[in-house]
Amino acid sequence: MILLRQAAAVAGKDLRVEVRGRYALGAVLPFAATLLVVFGLSLGPGRTLLRQTAPGLLWLAVLFAGVLASRRAYETEAEDGAMEGLLLAPVDKAAVFLGKAAGVAVQLVVLEAVVVAMVSALFDLPVTGSVGTLAGAFLLGTVGLAAVGALFGALDVSARAREAVFPLLVLPLATPVLVAGVKATALAIDGRGASSWLGLLVAFDLVVLAAGTLVYEHLLED
Amino acid sequence: MFPRTTDAATLPAAVEPARAGTPAIALSRVTRVFGVIPAVVRVDFTVEPGETVLIRGPNGAGKSTLLRIVATALSPTYGEGHVQGFDLLRGREGIRRRTELLGHRTRLYEDLTASENLRFACAMHDISAAGVPEALEHVGLADVTGERVRGFSQGMRQRLAVARALLRRPPLLLLDEPYAGLDGEAKDIVDGAILEARTAGRTVVLATHDLSRGGLASRTVFMDGGRIVPDPLREGRP
Repeated sequence: MILLRQAAAVAGKDLRVEVRGRYALGAVLPFAATLLVVFGLSLGPGRTLLRQTAPGLLWLAVLFAGVLASRRAYETEAEDGAMEGLLLAPVDKAAVFLGKAAGVAVQLVVLEAVVVAMVSALFDLPVTGSVGTLAGAFLLGTVGLAAVGALFGALDVSARAREAVFPLLVLPLATPVLVAGVKATALAIDGRGASSWLGLLVAFDLVVLAAGTLVYEHLLED
Repeated sequence: MFPRTTDAATLPAAVEPARAGTPAIALSRVTRVFGVIPAVVRVDFTVEPGETVLIRGPNGAGKSTLLRIVATALSPTYGEGHVQGFDLLRGREGIRRRTELLGHRTRLYEDLTASENLRFACAMHDISAAGVPEALEHVGLADVTGERVRGFSQGMRQRLAVARALLRRPPLLLLDEPYAGLDGEAKDIVDGAILEARTAGRTVVLATHDLSRGGLASRTVFMDGGRIVPDPLREGRP
């Protein structure tokens, strides 16, 4: 119970900082929008091609936005040595990991709603197929991406290392989310179920959350 | 002038101090190396409960590293030690529950208000936030509780960090150059916190090169080159 309360405190703090800093609104969202527009222009006006590639572009935008949001979640900890405060607090470090992941996940859900609306408008993509499958894919994918970002963001909060190493660690590990998310989204748009891909996302989430809960403390400690 | 004494009834109960019969700090041959550079070399350092110890020494002497090892922010490369009766490596949580490190960096969140920063610290230490308004008043920040730390001067930030330490009332208070960047009034607030801790029988270790601020210490040790060495002032050297 204490663990969940402290995780909620970390997530609440991160979201409050985010809302006031307007980083997601000011940097991540324009980045995702630019990515979609540039890809759309490069693929040309063919409606069929755009609709076929839309799920992939949508998830790429979410993936890169997730990397940026996760990195930002740790930048605030590095500003005035705040990460050391979390380290020295007599708190189960799993609470910090879960709180960080939850904070990033909430940001991503908001961002995904905007990105899906943009893709639907730009690429003429109907999102009325299997809404439950689509929502499930994004929810489960978001949890996985946020957990991977929260886990590896703790590796090194020094700015220079984070800039270079963080995407190299997160992007390959997030590949299962990308593949399963794209497949499930494509099936959902066609109005079909995607239970096997959603199952893969569930398994991925469970593995990353369990691993993060167990090893996060060791990543933080000197 | 020291701030008035905090009303203990509104602050959270202090965590129990060191295990009975054990020193507050007992380090044996502790060494810390960064890469190939030794920051602390074979240091033996013992502090009894209730002592107020001043660590003096020039910049780069190893004072900060030593305090960070005691606070468990760093692990010793070699050597062993106990803080509040808990092993430096195996008893980190016990040490952290009983220790507050006030260092160069204030560990505050710039986009949170003064009050929110303290409330978050309370949540992380699982203590009541009922004493937050009083702690802020204690350090002279009652008028800016709802303002973001981003607009605070260094002195105000340091005061807020002191307020955070007051909230917890830990049995062991570690202060690393706490006077840096502070005006006279803010320095008095830090001294007030030390005096209050000392009066309450808590242990304080203070590292500074500010010679004008050692009057509250019951004992002084001198560090140079990562080692504890004889105090040059006592030996008649500058």
